[in-house]
Amino acid sequence: MNPFDIMDCSLLIRMSGLPPAYNLRELRDRIAVCGPDVLYHHFCETPLSPTFEYPDHRNDFAVWASRRLSDKILAERLGAVDPYACPSIEGLREVVLDVIDERLSEVTMIPWARPGHEFYFMEATTLVFDSGERVRALRELPEAIGRMSNGSIYFHFLEAQRRQPVGMDDFSNWIGGFGKTGAPYVEALRRIDFYFYTLRELREELVRVLEPLRGKRS
Amino acid sequence: MNIQQYEPIVGIPVIGQLRRLGERLKGLRVVHVNSTAEGGGVAEILAWMVPLMNDLGLDTRWRVISGTNEFFSVTKAIHNGLQGYSVLLKKRDWDVYQDVNRENVKALKDELEEADIVVIHDPQPAPLLELCTRRRGRWIWRCHIDASHPSRSVWKGLKPFVEKYDASIFSMCQFAQLLRHPQYLIAPSIDPLSEKNIDLDDHELDAVREQFDLNPGVPVLVQISRFDRFKDPVGVIEAYRMVKKMTPVQLVLAGGGATDDPEGKEVLDAVMEAAEGDPDIHVELLPPAANRTVNALQRIADIVVQKSTREGFGLTVTEGLWKGKPVIGGDAGGIRLQVVDYHTGFLVMTPEGAANRIRFLLHHREQCGRMGKTGRELVREYYLLTRHLREYLTLMYALVGQTTEHTVMV
Repeated sequence: MNPFDIMDCSLLIRMSGLPPAYNLRELRDRIAVCGPDVLYHHFCETPLSPTFEYPDHRNDFAVWASRRLSDKILAERLGAVDPYACPSIEGLREVVLDVIDERLSEVTMIPWARPGHEFYFMEATTLVFDSGERVRALRELPEAIGRMSNGSIYFHFLEAQRRQPVGMDDFSNWIGGFGKTGAPYVEALRRIDFYFYTLRELREELVRVLEPLRGKRS
Repeated sequence: MNIQQYEPIVGIPVIGQLRRLGERLKGLRVVHVNSTAEGGGVAEILAWMVPLMNDLGLDTRWRVISGTNEFFSVTKAIHNGLQGYSVLLKKRDWDVYQDVNRENVKALKDELEEADIVVIHDPQPAPLLELCTRRRGRWIWRCHIDASHPSRSVWKGLKPFVEKYDASIFSMCQFAQLLRHPQYLIAPSIDPLSEKNIDLDDHELDAVREQFDLNPGVPVLVQISRFDRFKDPVGVIEAYRMVKKMTPVQLVLAGGGATDDPEGKEVLDAVMEAAEGDPDIHVELLPPAANRTVNALQRIADIVVQKSTREGFGLTVTEGLWKGKPVIGGDAGGIRLQVVDYHTGFLVMTPEGAANRIRFLLHHREQCGRMGKTGRELVREYYLLTRHLREYLTLMYALVGQTTEHTVMV
């Protein structure tokens, strides 16, 4: 079995070049034309962004709808959009636009944000680099995960969902290679509702779920 | 100063990540240029960033441009203009601005043209780029100023100097300006091992309590800031008076303030007048070097207040959160990123709002503890210098590799 190569990543956030949105209509129009990296950033890269992680909503659009537009209905609907369940970024865009269009058809007045509370569209570059560390046996994995940076957790568990095999994290992919020994752990990892964990919490949960591997021979 | 000192605070993974980035940038020649060697936020940042970058393997230098009084009057006016004040700069002022940079470039040219990365901090040295015609590296303009609503004429005058850079860095998205090059967002940070933030023992806290004549049995509210109307110190006194009607409390308003600044003097006079006759209000004009006193006051506080009506990033809020205190902050600038209702403190807009939230916290002490803990972790995760350093290194890597792709395998 090949060793597990621990990668690390760091996010570099920049302005997308789109003008900010002052109201829901503008938000909708910008989302319709923004680049895929912008959507991906505001949905999936939030755990690596240096901002407070709101426990109620895991994407920036839902947080903005709740806190800046005071539209709780829209915030709940946007907050329920799971980017990892969408087959592609274009699929995600379609779902988000559908949610906003529905809301626009319901409200009698377009909700506005106060000056200074506009939505700014951003995107990021992710630098991925090899940490040089390797995990050679199943029993070493829990301890190795416990030592991983937030960047590594993000890359191997969240970012991995977009890579081949799509929808699968790197840990499951590697553990799956151990056949029957690994199978229950792949299943346990699959059951983690990761969307509502911070990266720190996710690391703790991964270690907890994989803890019994420490005693395994492989 | 070395990066290893921070490992007990931020953990092994964070230091490991910095070391790995350092390995990949080993030997990179970086020159930072600003206009002051000490005093002010930029010099404070460079004082730790330069040695830490060197410790990680980069070849980093810090150069300071010199100038005449007239030059610094002009650049102060540019600074104020970027912050939104109405200022009038004449052609002669812009000429002085360029002439002083022309003088400085004589000594710096070779080093800047040879560097792999040049980081120019704030407007003062911005014209250096076009004076270094044989530059081979990538040039970054780092704007530390809240330029969210700049004076149009000042921005129009400065833009030609900064738009030729390869990239710029702003502290928050609200401060970024429309430019042709990529604009990166890197929030500022605090140094947990600096005099202002390092752990202090109880004896030192007791000494400061005594110095300020604070009663250890009565809750303390502390606002650390310049005596500036945008920090609303008089509003804080109003809030304190409303609270005091219901519950015993003490207030400390402390901070630097230039007595030669007519507006600062005016604000300080208004504060003294509002505080008159109340021995539980302690107004203190602190010298710039009083970092340990500031540290102690923030640690003595039951609640840290920063009731600004206008704010840059608000590093005094970061400092308060790092000391495990709930923060009552004005709903402005970067305070919004750090103070989140019921999690790390409360955002307020009026003295009444501040008073209500202070009373709530004084009567829910367990919530103060929980918020303080959340705030400290928020700072540990995002607002310590290790994150700041990581983002600079990442940016340098991206610029050297000339990449704007979404995912880059290094």
